[in-house]
Amino acid sequence: MPMNPALEGKTYPAVALTVDPERVARFRAAFGEERDVVPPTFATVAEWAVFPGIVEDAELALDFSRVVHAAQEYEWHRPFVEGETLTVRPRIASIREKGGHGFLTVETELTDADGTIVVLARATLIERGI
Amino acid sequence: MPELRVRFADLSIGYEIHELARSVTREDVERYAGASGDRNPLHLDDDFARSVGFPGIIAHGMFTMGHLAHCLTDWLGDASALRRMNVQLRAPVFLGDVIVAGGRVKALDREARTAVLDVWVTVDRNGTVEYPIRRGEAEVRLPTE
Repeated sequence: MPMNPALEGKTYPAVALTVDPERVARFRAAFGEERDVVPPTFATVAEWAVFPGIVEDAELALDFSRVVHAAQEYEWHRPFVEGETLTVRPRIASIREKGGHGFLTVETELTDADGTIVVLARATLIERGI
Repeated sequence: MPELRVRFADLSIGYEIHELARSVTREDVERYAGASGDRNPLHLDDDFARSVGFPGIIAHGMFTMGHLAHCLTDWLGDASALRRMNVQLRAPVFLGDVIVAGGRVKALDREARTAVLDVWVTVDRNGTVEYPIRRGEAEVRLPTE
């Protein structure tokens, strides 16, 4: 069953995400990063803080067991700072159907305490063989 | 503080960055699942992965993209020079694969001090090269000449 296209544009509640030093250390270890920096794709942690609420949204009718990650885009406006708390705001940017597959694009905005954008993330998930 | 190692003047169209290779083990995938929060069973449960047509668990696409980002920031020296990246995840990465990240400058903007690179991740499977990431694009900004 295809996803409900009426959910295009839907926003979900914002969540707070702290750039936790312990989590950052695990991320660095995953990529063999030896310098004292936050890997740019730490943004993925913010996306996974909000994705469960979207993929489990009954109104969306997405079968997550058929999902693979198809495309990803990041715009970094400044580096992450360890210990800071960011606001993570997701919205469904588009829902499409093509070649028997469903395509869901979620746009997630990460802003800092001043409301200034830190990262814009765009993830496209494919629901295979709908 | 990390220091930017690349100057705008060093770059020209066609300039290739050093490729960065790494192997992918079950421990790597499990560690990434814990660090990222993406606990999709496709990356953790062989039986589930087989039930959806794979030979066993596959690495997260974002693990592959993260390795590519690491290749770029390793080259740049300063992660804040990386401004934008977009990729399409086109082929699965299996346990035991060696993934190789690379990139080549395809456009330069002297005024903005930005370079756009074609970026990729390859896997050699018995002589056949596959592209988990092909024709990705990254933009870097190098404030110093």
